Amino acid sequence: MIQSFQLFPGVTLRYFADNRFKQGCLSVQFVRPMAAEEAAMNALLPAVLLRGTKQYPDLRAITLHLDDLYGASVSALVRRIGDYQTTGLYCSFMEDRYAMDGDAILAPIVDFVRQLLLEPVTEEDGFCAEFVESEKKNLISAIESELNDKRVYAGVQLLKVMCRSDAFGIPRLGEKKSVEAADAKKLYQHYQRILKESRIELFYVGAAQPETILALLKNMLAGIQRCYVNLPEQTAFCDAGGEHTREAMDITQSKLCMGFVTPITNRVREFAAMQLFNAIYGAGMTSKLFMIVREKMSLCYSIGSGYYGTKGIITVSAGIDQNQEETVRAEILRQLQLCQSGDISDGELIAARKAVLSGLRTVHDSPGAIEGYHSTAGLSGLCFDLEEYRRAISAAKIADVVEAAKTVRLHSSFFLQGVGE
Amino acid sequence: MNKVFYPGLNETLYSCKMENGLTVQVLPRPGFSRKLAYFVTDFGSIHTEFLLDGKKIKAPAGVAHFLEHKMFELPGRDVSAEFAALGANVNAFTSYDVTAYYFSCTENFLPSLRLLLEFVSTPYFTEESVKREIGIIDQEIGMNADSPERVFENLMQAMYCSHPIRVPILGSRESIREITPEILNQCHRAFYTPANMILCVVGDVDPQQVLDTARQVLGDEKKEAGSKLRPWQEEMTCHRETVRMPMEVAMPNFQLGFKCESVGTGEDAIRQEIIGDLAAEALFGESSELYLQLYESGLIDSSFGGGFETVDGCALLTCGGDSNQAEKVRDAIVARAEELASTGIPDADLLRMKRSALGRRIRDLDSFDSTCFRLCAYQLSDFDYFRFPGVYTDVTAAQVCAFLEKVIKKERCALSVIEPRRQS
Repeated sequence: MIQSFQLFPGVTLRYFADNRFKQGCLSVQFVRPMAAEEAAMNALLPAVLLRGTKQYPDLRAITLHLDDLYGASVSALVRRIGDYQTTGLYCSFMEDRYAMDGDAILAPIVDFVRQLLLEPVTEEDGFCAEFVESEKKNLISAIESELNDKRVYAGVQLLKVMCRSDAFGIPRLGEKKSVEAADAKKLYQHYQRILKESRIELFYVGAAQPETILALLKNMLAGIQRCYVNLPEQTAFCDAGGEHTREAMDITQSKLCMGFVTPITNRVREFAAMQLFNAIYGAGMTSKLFMIVREKMSLCYSIGSGYYGTKGIITVSAGIDQNQEETVRAEILRQLQLCQSGDISDGELIAARKAVLSGLRTVHDSPGAIEGYHSTAGLSGLCFDLEEYRRAISAAKIADVVEAAKTVRLHSSFFLQGVGE
Repeated sequence: MNKVFYPGLNETLYSCKMENGLTVQVLPRPGFSRKLAYFVTDFGSIHTEFLLDGKKIKAPAGVAHFLEHKMFELPGRDVSAEFAALGANVNAFTSYDVTAYYFSCTENFLPSLRLLLEFVSTPYFTEESVKREIGIIDQEIGMNADSPERVFENLMQAMYCSHPIRVPILGSRESIREITPEILNQCHRAFYTPANMILCVVGDVDPQQVLDTARQVLGDEKKEAGSKLRPWQEEMTCHRETVRMPMEVAMPNFQLGFKCESVGTGEDAIRQEIIGDLAAEALFGESSELYLQLYESGLIDSSFGGGFETVDGCALLTCGGDSNQAEKVRDAIVARAEELASTGIPDADLLRMKRSALGRRIRDLDSFDSTCFRLCAYQLSDFDYFRFPGVYTDVTAAQVCAFLEKVIKKERCALSVIEPRRQS
């Protein structure tokens, strides 16, 4: 289904032909090692690129142009994939065949992306300082707004504690102080290096023929001088020891986050059994945590677990009453012990397997999901292609899940204690 | 079933009204794995007063949402576990004017559909389970209390005096304690009858099998439903001009609302909605002069956005986002609306905005969830959703300007702000 083309050294196009959709999508990702010194600049970069080009010099000119392209959208794309951070642009646009009077959308949108990437508004030897300063404010506000969602905030605090010595602890958008330190000149120099040295991943989903896309995208990036520097491989979790921390805040509901580690990552075949363990333990409405802690014990509204396969980290997060902290902590651990001692029913395994398989089947049901899955799976080091992944999930037995569960141990926790009314 | 092909959208919709009164819509999507079914009742958080068997009933605030939670129980059975065993993902939500139950799956579609219809049409409430649910919803209310999304609830309280949109969908910790199995039964009997509901399916399915399954589970009998009371007397002025709330947030966040006349139902309703949306776009959309001016002066950031919203018995134009100076944003919007209303909107600008809005709606049809829900919501408003491109064509610049002139007035406006708590 996916065809790969090497356009230039370190520049790969992945092409997914599909004419079922009303829209196509194109992503451009520059892949960087996740590093404290550049994370914030990488997050800032696409926002600045989206502020103006030589031909469309401000936000309004850009939006008017996108309006003419039937409301096509181009947005910043910043992802954290294990040890990597990607930065770039994501666009989605109506397929040409739905446009009126034979209007073209694909070719103009690709050309527009070229202008965003290669013809930004510049001053002397930097980006437009006004754009950079204004987007720094936006980025700082986005970083600070993680506090608005207490569940997200607590989750980020937990990962910071757990990953003190691992790049995975660096927030996706970087730290506020690094944003403040960035300026128009530094960012522009950094971008020139990114253009030259980074691995570039292009992903297209839509109805256009491969030769059309190849020609458009080769032309899009033809102006770049490349000197590609190889990326290091993904690495295992670097453990600096566990810690249990807490913070009091004037809120009604407390948030308990517990972090676990396992040596099983997405780069080994036991990953499938670990995915199933996560589904049985805490992901979804039939998991042990949901069924017992919420439904039976009535201790919370939200509870769930997540598995970060690139690092072998499992987190459990629950919104609870502060007085129930010890009870909920103990129950979360007890449910893990039950899994480890083999207390998993056939019904639980079947439900988990069906849920994971269903998720994998629907990967191909929307352009966004296709791009999201395939453009990150390879970078994350996942050892299966989609078909192998499905087979591995179907083949895993309860014994495999129990063996996976036995590798899981509590590492750290963070408790956001609500001291409001 | 009635089959209609919409060539401009390349969609074929099957629909019919069953003898029991249930409206069924099926949108086949060959070649897709996912199948999605929505079973929606025309009963939301605002419908707390109604007539049943000739008797007037006033249910506690939050009853529709409470009922939604309680529907997932059947005697001696675990509905969620049964869906999970089928490999289907089930969920539900309650809004101001509807309650929707839905599942998605990639296999076992018909048994899952049967289960959906069965559990939503079977009331089973015990004293004990109602009591247990109070603990869970208490936590949900607590979570909501800490969320900056409170800004919208606060806005509704500032804008409306009588319309129950001013009451939070979840109700309050006090009101949910007044809910009993008997009240839940009454609400179920009043509004969970087929004639008050819609079943809509999107995916690679056989429309006739959907209809047959609905008939097998729900039968043909038409049952008496409750009738909603709407004793809402609402002036077009706002209850309060500004409302502020301190919270543990990083940045002040605001929502601004302008009261509009209720849009009613049918094609006229969707026309009003599209006029409202285009007016919002012309006034403060990303391609407007005002947006650029506010953005460049730092009064708004990329979180800013808005649009036109309709709820049974009311309509409003809202916008909001992060800002340190929400009053200045409000004043600029009111002033700009006056200008636009007097200068008019050039036809070329309107055409561009229409093209953009139309393109976004067409792209949105790729989303199963959005399409399925919109098909239900517009059907409840008596409009065939896939006719939207034609309505866009008909809207004129004069209509959009007239809307701005009438609605964007300071007296119709309220402002809600969530402010960071002062550091002690």
